[in-house]
Amino acid sequence: MLSVSDLSFSYDTKQALKDVSFRAEPGRFTALLGPNGAGKSTLFALLTRLFTTRDGQIEIAGHDLAKAPREALAVMGVVFQQPTLDLELTIRQNLSYFAALHGLSGKDAAMRIDAALDRLDIRARAGEKARSLNGGHRRRTELARALIHQPKVLLCDEPTVGLDAQARAAITAHVHDLAEDGLTVLWATHLTDEVRESDDVLLLHQGVLRASGTARDLTGAQALNDWFLEQTGTPV
Amino acid sequence: MKYTPLLAALLLAQPVKADEIWVTNEKDNTVSVIDVDTQEVTHTYETGERPRGIIFSHDYSVVYICASDSDSVQVMDPDTGEILHDLPSGEDPEQFALHPDDRHLYIANEDDAITTVVDTQTRTVVAQINVGIEPEGMAVSPDGAIAITTSETTNMAHWIDTETQELFANTLVDSRPRHAEFVKDGSELWVSSEIGGTISVFDVATQAEKAKLEFKIKGVHPDKVQPVGFELTADDTHAFVALGPANHLAVVNAETYEVEDYILVGRRVWHMAFNADKSLLFTTNGVSGDVTVVDVADRKAVKTIKVGRFPWGAAFRPTE
Amino acid sequence: MTRRFPAFKAIVLREVLRFIHQRERFLAALVRPLIWLLVFAAGFRAALGLSIIPPYQTYITYETYIVPGLCGMILLFNGMQTSLSLVYDREMGSMRLLLTAPQPRWFLLFSKLCGATFIGILQCYAFLIIARLFGVEHPLLGHLTVLPALILAGLMLGALGLAISSFIKQLENFAGVMNFVIFPMFFLSSALYPLWKMQESSETLYWICRLNPFTHAVELIRFALHVSLSPWALLWTVLAGAAFTVLALWGYDPARGMIRKRR
Repeated sequence: MLSVSDLSFSYDTKQALKDVSFRAEPGRFTALLGPNGAGKSTLFALLTRLFTTRDGQIEIAGHDLAKAPREALAVMGVVFQQPTLDLELTIRQNLSYFAALHGLSGKDAAMRIDAALDRLDIRARAGEKARSLNGGHRRRTELARALIHQPKVLLCDEPTVGLDAQARAAITAHVHDLAEDGLTVLWATHLTDEVRESDDVLLLHQGVLRASGTARDLTGAQALNDWFLEQTGTPV
Repeated sequence: MKYTPLLAALLLAQPVKADEIWVTNEKDNTVSVIDVDTQEVTHTYETGERPRGIIFSHDYSVVYICASDSDSVQVMDPDTGEILHDLPSGEDPEQFALHPDDRHLYIANEDDAITTVVDTQTRTVVAQINVGIEPEGMAVSPDGAIAITTSETTNMAHWIDTETQELFANTLVDSRPRHAEFVKDGSELWVSSEIGGTISVFDVATQAEKAKLEFKIKGVHPDKVQPVGFELTADDTHAFVALGPANHLAVVNAETYEVEDYILVGRRVWHMAFNADKSLLFTTNGVSGDVTVVDVADRKAVKTIKVGRFPWGAAFRPTE
Repeated sequence: MTRRFPAFKAIVLREVLRFIHQRERFLAALVRPLIWLLVFAAGFRAALGLSIIPPYQTYITYETYIVPGLCGMILLFNGMQTSLSLVYDREMGSMRLLLTAPQPRWFLLFSKLCGATFIGILQCYAFLIIARLFGVEHPLLGHLTVLPALILAGLMLGALGLAISSFIKQLENFAGVMNFVIFPMFFLSSALYPLWKMQESSETLYWICRLNPFTHAVELIRFALHVSLSPWALLWTVLAGAAFTVLALWGYDPARGMIRKRR
């Protein structure tokens, strides 16, 4: 479970987040919906402790991120918006590097890496440089990598940016499957077609959480996209 | 009581005297004494004016020093540094050589174009031989039969029969000969020419030139390459040649007469002396006022020791 | 604690692999000091030897003199290169990946610093070997005693790079670092000229050189390469290293927000 309470953050004078509170439950795909500049990236940076704030509290699977940052980070998997594969290294080297950062090494790490490669069906290409992968595969590799240490919470920060429609659909479906298997998923996006009716939705706009609930409950008869545009004040 | 002899022996053994290198300082009118082991100056003794050539008697009981501007050869007690007496030397003695008889000094008198032969026992001049203008280098063959004087202006090596004290041959060398030495058991005579930048090698039996050494250092103008003093290694296979303002020693293969190496030492390197087993070489560096210690086997300068101003000659003195 | 070692190893290994893969960087790292050694030193025409200053026991050629300075240059460039790659890493996501590892941040940065220093030292040794092949020799034992000096100097300059990277907002600003850090540090030091020579031309320049931590890094290397120790240089290098480390840790402090960018 991921729980955020009363989180605020400012860049110098500009308030980026104001009193944000929410919970993302295990087994649920929670979509963090918001237009560009809504504060999604700031929220992700705070959730991954790239920087910290004194206002508010973040708990990752029961670990307070401020008080026990290492325990909290250890149960968290992250797919960043920016590409994080080292293109000069092989796919396996990339995964080993990540495993080692989490203190995994030797046989244990090798087994987990093989499992991840199998899941992606790219074990045969493990020796190739990451550069040889196409955009969709790179993202999938990053996703597989984020799961190597078997996290309880998966954070995805606009992971479909730059992917073609097919790859986008595939990876969105894959993460939905992961949520169904019991993972807590927080998925930031501004693209409503990645959100299913049964998903939990958090609507973030101008640093404030405007709405939360399942997509179905929030939108009623409206299409999600129309509702989103209406809520964020963008003319239809 | 039974410890007394041991104690006495210990007391007598103190201080342990080490091998020494003696260096004349042309501008300071002193000699510096360097301890070979610690490679530090242990004593500095006053001498006459402008000391240059320096030689020990065979038993090392006295040291002869050419005091050029005092127009004398001084005899010093090396244990005390006290000048015992002067020898008549003719005017402006620069370099000299001790005859194998340990008694006669052959002295080059630069200003008079004369070589003076002095008997160190009777302290009298035995002979004066007219040679070329500005004689400088002096050498006596190991068998004592031949003495050599080189003259700077005439550019010649003059061959003197020590029986008759008369010249029996003159051989041309390159410009401004500085130093002469019999090497390889007296079978060869080497003469360095400062301006010519060469060393001429003569066959002693025929007085014929058999080779000429030439030097060339990358990055140093040829005018600065001026060979002066030189010494051969213990096995006579290599020669170390001081190249004056080129600040380098040349290591020459004494069989092929090819230069094998150059070693950077101090400024205007002039003369040199080996230690007892000839594993170390001490060069006098006139302009920089120091002595560089060269490891002979490694062909590397290992240390440079500050001495007086314008060190010139060097001589070795073993532990008593 | 037991889980830290794999992380340390992986971060160092990644730095090494990255370095090996950047062949141009490796080549440039070797060629740069060699050009100084072979071209600049030859042009300097000091075949007649430099005056004796500690740690030298006798006259040395200019080539011999600048070798420690060029080792310092390798470490300086390496430190700045590390800084550059950190800024690059930050623009890409690799830095986020690193900093979200469940390890203390100082430890992650220290590992990174060690990796960079290790590469710098490899380059120094490669350079020393090549210099030796060109006849610029140092005592054999000195190649061993120089190791701790290279480590300290490498860490100090790496920490400087780290500190700088935390304050550079964008990759484009990096050219400024080259102009305002590398060149003054290198030229206003004892790397190319003995300080007494500097003093002859300007007392002010001399004091700037004396205060420049790079001078002390170079002197530390110079003495160590001749199997001796300069306590003063050691002190300065360690102090400067500590100061840069504190600065870097402050720069990367999550409460300050190193990735904090105005949107």
